[in-house]
Amino acid sequence: MKVPLSWLKELVDVAVEPARLGDDLTMAGLAIEGIETHGGETVLDLDVTTNRVDCMNVLGVAREVSVIYGVPLRAPDLSFTEKGGPAADALTVAIEAGELCPRFCARVADVAMGPSPAWMRERLEQVGVRPISNVVDLTNYVMIELGQPSHAFDLARIPGGALVVRLAREGERLTTLDGNDRVLPAGTGVVASAQAPLALAGIMGGASSEVGDATTTVAFEAAHWNPLRIRRVSKALGMHTEASHRFERQSDPEVMPAALARIAHLLEKIGAGTVRPGLIDVVAQARTPVRVAVRPGRVDALLGTPVPPERQAAILTGLGFADAGAGAWDVPSWRGDVSREIDVVEEVGRHHGLGRIPSTVPAARGVGTLARFQRRERELRTVLVGLGLTETISLSLAPESPGARVPLQNPLAGGQGALRDGLVFPGLLDALAVNLRQGRRDVALFELGKVFAADGAGVRETSHLGLLWCGAVEPAHWSRKARPADFFDGKGVVERAATAFGAGEVSFAASARPDLHPGRCVDVYADGLIVGWLGVLHPDRAEALGVRTEVVIAELALGMLGALPGPGLRVRALDRFPAVVRDLSVITDGQVPADVLLGVVRQAGGPLLRDAAVADRYEGAPLPAGRVSLTLSLRFQAPERTLLGDEVDRAMQDVGARLRAAGHEIRGE
Amino acid sequence: MTPSGSLAERVAALRGEFDRELEGADTSAALQAVRDRFLGRKAGALTDLMGSLRTLSVDEKKAAGQQLNALKGELESRLEAKGTALEEASRALRLAGQRIDVTLPGRLPAQGGRHPLTIVREEIEDIFLGMGYLVYDGPEVEDDYHCFEALNMPPEHPARDMQDTFYLAQPAGLLLRTHTSSGQIRYMLDNPRPPEVRLICPGRVYRRDDDITHSPMFNQIEGLVVGPGITLGDLKGTLEAFLHALFGPDYPVRFRPSFFPYTEPSVEVDLGCVVCGGKGCRVCKGTGWLEILGSGMVDPAVFAQVNKRLGRVVYDPEQVSGFAFGTGIERIAMVRYGVEDIRLFFQGDLRFLEQFR
Repeated sequence: MKVPLSWLKELVDVAVEPARLGDDLTMAGLAIEGIETHGGETVLDLDVTTNRVDCMNVLGVAREVSVIYGVPLRAPDLSFTEKGGPAADALTVAIEAGELCPRFCARVADVAMGPSPAWMRERLEQVGVRPISNVVDLTNYVMIELGQPSHAFDLARIPGGALVVRLAREGERLTTLDGNDRVLPAGTGVVASAQAPLALAGIMGGASSEVGDATTTVAFEAAHWNPLRIRRVSKALGMHTEASHRFERQSDPEVMPAALARIAHLLEKIGAGTVRPGLIDVVAQARTPVRVAVRPGRVDALLGTPVPPERQAAILTGLGFADAGAGAWDVPSWRGDVSREIDVVEEVGRHHGLGRIPSTVPAARGVGTLARFQRRERELRTVLVGLGLTETISLSLAPESPGARVPLQNPLAGGQGALRDGLVFPGLLDALAVNLRQGRRDVALFELGKVFAADGAGVRETSHLGLLWCGAVEPAHWSRKARPADFFDGKGVVERAATAFGAGEVSFAASARPDLHPGRCVDVYADGLIVGWLGVLHPDRAEALGVRTEVVIAELALGMLGALPGPGLRVRALDRFPAVVRDLSVITDGQVPADVLLGVVRQAGGPLLRDAAVADRYEGAPLPAGRVSLTLSLRFQAPERTLLGDEVDRAMQDVGARLRAAGHEIRGE
Repeated sequence: MTPSGSLAERVAALRGEFDRELEGADTSAALQAVRDRFLGRKAGALTDLMGSLRTLSVDEKKAAGQQLNALKGELESRLEAKGTALEEASRALRLAGQRIDVTLPGRLPAQGGRHPLTIVREEIEDIFLGMGYLVYDGPEVEDDYHCFEALNMPPEHPARDMQDTFYLAQPAGLLLRTHTSSGQIRYMLDNPRPPEVRLICPGRVYRRDDDITHSPMFNQIEGLVVGPGITLGDLKGTLEAFLHALFGPDYPVRFRPSFFPYTEPSVEVDLGCVVCGGKGCRVCKGTGWLEILGSGMVDPAVFAQVNKRLGRVVYDPEQVSGFAFGTGIERIAMVRYGVEDIRLFFQGDLRFLEQFR
């Protein structure tokens, strides 16, 4: 809302500098956006919140100023002299749709068309309204000044001099003042002649009754329109005008006679014509004034500071409220946003000054703690960062994928038509591509976030962890070459991540997934459930990205891991007797998974075998081609005594026998 | 020559010879040779000298014996000392050969980093945890009721225009939350216990908007405090404490009336510009103030909506009051770190992310 300072000063005295005025208005709730100078005139640009339509005019701003500084408000001059025959002889008005238009006012005027005076044109330009002609400019001037949009019809072009306010009929058309021929949606409010619509109610006039150079008599209309109706039509037709902006925010339902009087006064003042006797005032729905009861102490209790009753009364009176006695206040018609006690509290608060309310902090009622899942997420981040991964955050929007991803009805951009169903695809791979484009070769990223899946009539949101490595995990150093990431880097981190998340041990089983290398892909299990996957991006896809090394990717459903109880921590007694470690090399055809060998060993090792692990893997001379030697390291320990050599020997023999029975060769035998 | 004189001469000669040879022995092998030559059991010079005492009288033998034993002790300890010195010298030489170029670069262990929005979010969470709040995690996919209607924005409310909403094609009737304020409603409905609430709700929100300062997805933190006797003064004190903890106590905080459909009175919170110190700059658009939080006293209509849904009055506006607030995490991160393009947060560009290690 732009307000020329000289216009404001016609309605209220302003003793302070514009910058100070801007600050004071800001602190009362009308935020100053800027102070401009416009041909020697200072123009305030105010950000008026949507609830304050009463301040979308100069008088409303002046009223705020009068309360801020405690100075009187000067009402605009509404005096004028009527001339000629009664207005009612020339114009009749009927309201058929009272819900659309509770009240319609009009005046008939004899006019001499021409340009409006320079001062009026300048003011309109200062507030961003294009001057057109004296009659049209008058309606705009009064809208800016009092907030009531109005419209001038060329009376000669209203067939029969009869206006009807009604809803548009199916298929009706209207050419509006902007030259567009429009088909009116059903339910559109119109001001019509007996035959056809003449104007779009509360939004824009029509071309057929437009005033022009030949006009000699006009009907000035000022009506109150149902905000919701105006809003619907304005949206449906994509028409946003100064008038609709005010009407859809519930303009003052009672200012119309005053607005028409102001038009009459200015018409006379600028020598553009005179009005005929009589206000045409059709009330379809009488308005009940709003009265609000404000209980003693309520203002103080909510603001947290005492505001003396006389100060409260001064603020409310200044804003146009009328004391109805016994704590009740009659709300002025222009304050459609005030209907409850709490709304009155706000009025007192903002003019008393929020800065004058002492700051207090409510006493804490308990200890603030993170939930277990939240703590685990933090722990997980710390661990992953320590393992060299950098956190990224991708958009949760992904390309459409029918049947898989939840689709949006109104996407903003291509490639963002659905909710993501995973973090690696496409988020982390997109991030990889961004980095590759920058010439970056070594990338290690993770993301923690939600993924979405349709679930009946709802959408299930699950927290996931996505991991991605590409290029060196151990960067080149003068002492060694760079080591590129491979499957086993990913596998180790997945195990660490599961532990950090408090989920205990996870296991892995070879699997196959689209977009992954068929021989380098596993499902991740916890408590017998698949909780994620890990693998190497399919070489075809890696090639498409322009990557020559492996891209290792993994995704874990943290929501599932988080639901597991986890091992909990109880300290185990320290071992009092030494362990014995024996190594054993098994030669296989290279097709037997290490896991299977370890399984055999663990079964055969007897109660003394504490642990078995792969210590080395070797292929090449002197082994024949295709043969692989796996060295297993077995650790034996007894809780209550030192082990004897022959006990361990016997256990090792059992293990060897079982492996041989399974068809494996033991090295060195 | 008297026997004693003769012995003394021989001792002197032997010592002189020992001095020369010990001096010349510069390896442990040479030192061993000196030891053998003078103290060897078979052919040692001192051993020979001792053997020659046989011809002396008992008294002379006793005196000479003492003299020679003392000499033996002296030679042995000097051999020992020389041996130690030789060893030290040789170790020093060996270690000197192991000197490395300590100016070569060290092996840096791999180190990632948290996302700047995580850094800011956790910091904000910690401040409110310290004031006894809990961290509530609400869903990102919402329905109209929780996102708008319960927050006093009935269908066709003009305030909905400020938040252009993404709707799901399927399942029907769902949308992406445009603000974390929906978390207020979720929490109150899910916790219809004694109305004492103190929470923050961080998370992703979505609006159909994409430019240098708007991303279709961004992050907010909502806060809600409800209890008996909560005042606008409590709102002020809490948010001042929060902003001072986050930005330092030197920046002024101001509260000005504003409008949100779900708070009454509504309060916009400005922080003295942390970029220019309040003098006016591009970031604060010359005003010296940064809009940093939206807030207000919970509108009784919101309590009424929750009570209606619960089917009983749990949050009675006559018994309890509350305040709510919300802020954008990107906004705070942008101001704090001087980030000018919001899209940088969501591209995964390591040139950007690695600056926050």
